[in-house]
Amino acid sequence: MAKKSFVGEIIRGIIKDNPVFVLVLGLCPVLAVSTSFANALGMAMAFTFVMLGSNIFVSLLRKQIPPGVRIPIFILIICTFVTMIDMMLEAFLPPMYEALGIFVPLIVVNCIVIGRAEAFANRNPVLPSIADGIGISIGFAAALMLLGSIREILGTGALKLMMLWSKDGELGFYPLSDIPGFSFVPNPIEFSIEPATVMVTPPGAFLTIAALMLLFKIMGDRKRMKQLKKEGYEI
Amino acid sequence: MTEDLMSLLPPAIAVLGALGLAMAGMLVWASKAFHVESDPLVDALMELMPGANCGACGYPGCADFAEHVVAGDITPDACTSCDAETFEMIGELLGMDISAAEPMYPITLCQGGTNCKDRYDYIGADTCRAAILLSGTKKACSYGCIGLGDCVRACMFDAIEIADNGLPKIKKYNCKGCGACVTACPQQVLTIAKEHGPVYVVCASHDKPKYVKEVCEFGCIGCGICKKNCPEGAIALVQKVAVIDQEKCTQCGTCIDVCPRNAIVKL
Amino acid sequence: MIETPGLMPTEDLFPIFVNAMFTKNFLLIMFLGLCSYVGLTTNSDTSKGMSMAVTFVMTMSAILTWPIYYYLLSDASILKTDLTFLRTICFILIIASFVQLVEFIIRKFSPPLYKSLGIYLPLIATNCAVLGVVLLNIQEGYTYGASIIYAFAAGLGYSWVMLATAAVREKLIMRNVDLFSGFIGAFFAATMVALIVVSYFSVVKL
Repeated sequence: MAKKSFVGEIIRGIIKDNPVFVLVLGLCPVLAVSTSFANALGMAMAFTFVMLGSNIFVSLLRKQIPPGVRIPIFILIICTFVTMIDMMLEAFLPPMYEALGIFVPLIVVNCIVIGRAEAFANRNPVLPSIADGIGISIGFAAALMLLGSIREILGTGALKLMMLWSKDGELGFYPLSDIPGFSFVPNPIEFSIEPATVMVTPPGAFLTIAALMLLFKIMGDRKRMKQLKKEGYEI
Repeated sequence: MTEDLMSLLPPAIAVLGALGLAMAGMLVWASKAFHVESDPLVDALMELMPGANCGACGYPGCADFAEHVVAGDITPDACTSCDAETFEMIGELLGMDISAAEPMYPITLCQGGTNCKDRYDYIGADTCRAAILLSGTKKACSYGCIGLGDCVRACMFDAIEIADNGLPKIKKYNCKGCGACVTACPQQVLTIAKEHGPVYVVCASHDKPKYVKEVCEFGCIGCGICKKNCPEGAIALVQKVAVIDQEKCTQCGTCIDVCPRNAIVKL
Repeated sequence: MIETPGLMPTEDLFPIFVNAMFTKNFLLIMFLGLCSYVGLTTNSDTSKGMSMAVTFVMTMSAILTWPIYYYLLSDASILKTDLTFLRTICFILIIASFVQLVEFIIRKFSPPLYKSLGIYLPLIATNCAVLGVVLLNIQEGYTYGASIIYAFAAGLGYSWVMLATAAVREKLIMRNVDLFSGFIGAFFAATMVALIVVSYFSVVKL
């Protein structure tokens, strides 16, 4: 088996095995939290914390976990990290904690985290598991922020780019323009379109993800057809 | 802060420990109380199966197939959905040498589609089964392919689609030869055949020659020229349509050349 | 000191019921339980089976978890320490064990049902909707009776959306359009059903 590179694993997690558009897992937070760019970013960060923690620990303990009870043990490990990030958010970032609501504790039953623990971290050493964790998290974050941006732009006509920063000693999500070096970024970025409020509501969420999946499917199919043609199958 | 930690640790451990023990105990009891006998070999075989439940083997599902394989009623190569790697693993598990059977794909015994006239403008449920209910089917030829895609919906591998000419087209890279489309076709114009070699009369029409000529460009008119010219006598005329006996056929291709309607095809 | 709500319901039950079924529907508005939703609504039989299983598990989970939270974890309990940070792990422990128990029972007493539900039974344990119901019961501070009714209504809400979407998707599959197959079709169908709820019940001003 070819030796997979660290960066290669990361890229695989973003494109070939994108958890939202390819594996179609963990849809609940993706649709619920993508009402704005800021919420999406916050969720992505919480998810990354849990994903990395879970992958590292499951990989470290993989030889010790008895196969019959592995799922409950994975859930136990994941739950530890989820409880940690839940309490950290409540303490340090109350507005984001309010915005994310019950979706932070629900990361524990997020199919992506359990799925990767079972399918990857349980069978691979620590370093590839870290790479997988980073890749999947970036893929998840990219999908979330793509959805969040589209819904925010179409739903409110403007895009507020936010980032985690410490301003005057207060940790929080501030507009990107507040960060030194980025003051050229307009806050918010105005688009001259008539906002369609439906986009920030549930039907808008379903419509956006359906449209994005369709787009990626068409792109993927075209690529696959080319590949099959090369191999000699008649299309 | 360490005092808080120390004061929280014992109750937390106690609660979680007690809950964990209670649940574990309950589950241990349940696994014994509700124990179901099952052959571990069948379970292991089930793990390896593709799990498509397509029915190609003749059994309703992969679970049933696994049971019958272990019982010795059928050999594993009856499964058309397994690839070479899977057969290797199954062979290892069962201690036998298995290789995949020759790939077979469905073919349509009809060249109608857009080549065949419509009897009427059909507005109704988009399924072949409904379009055959009225007045001798939607197509002018009552025996041919309707082209509304019942076969497409029956396929669980996304291996068949209706092409621009109104006839089914097989995507061989997905097709497992399970025969679900063959069973689903209400006109029974689909059949499974080897990929290359066999010669088939691709028409199922029993109509009179004059009518066939009028409605379909490639339909068999039952003239019998192929039957006369076949060196093996492998062709028979069944109610105005020629049928080739695949057992007797040597695939010489004489019939293809003499057919005035181009209704015979070699795969 | 957490105030323990009583056992008998003191809240208005009708708003709770309508909220769970429509205006705060778990699948369409709260976005919980979507994985099973897109996977199973291609077929109305599996949707029916899954809906009944989920409703049952939701109700039983509410019955089991409420006492654990208020009598074991909260600082009003016999232990007098605030262990509420253990709620996620305890709830998931109870839900997963219960689903495993249900799986044992179904496997013993109804093999055809077990075969048809297949992999989806253990998947109910990781269904966000079940954990979501339980967490929301605590968040809203419902009494024991109200929490059970809320969980049951949430199950009914999940069921009607599953069945409605299965009805839409089964018809969509009739069309030979590749556009509506698989997850994409599921989400288009979900958009339609969600629009009905959102506009009819004026959840949001569109």
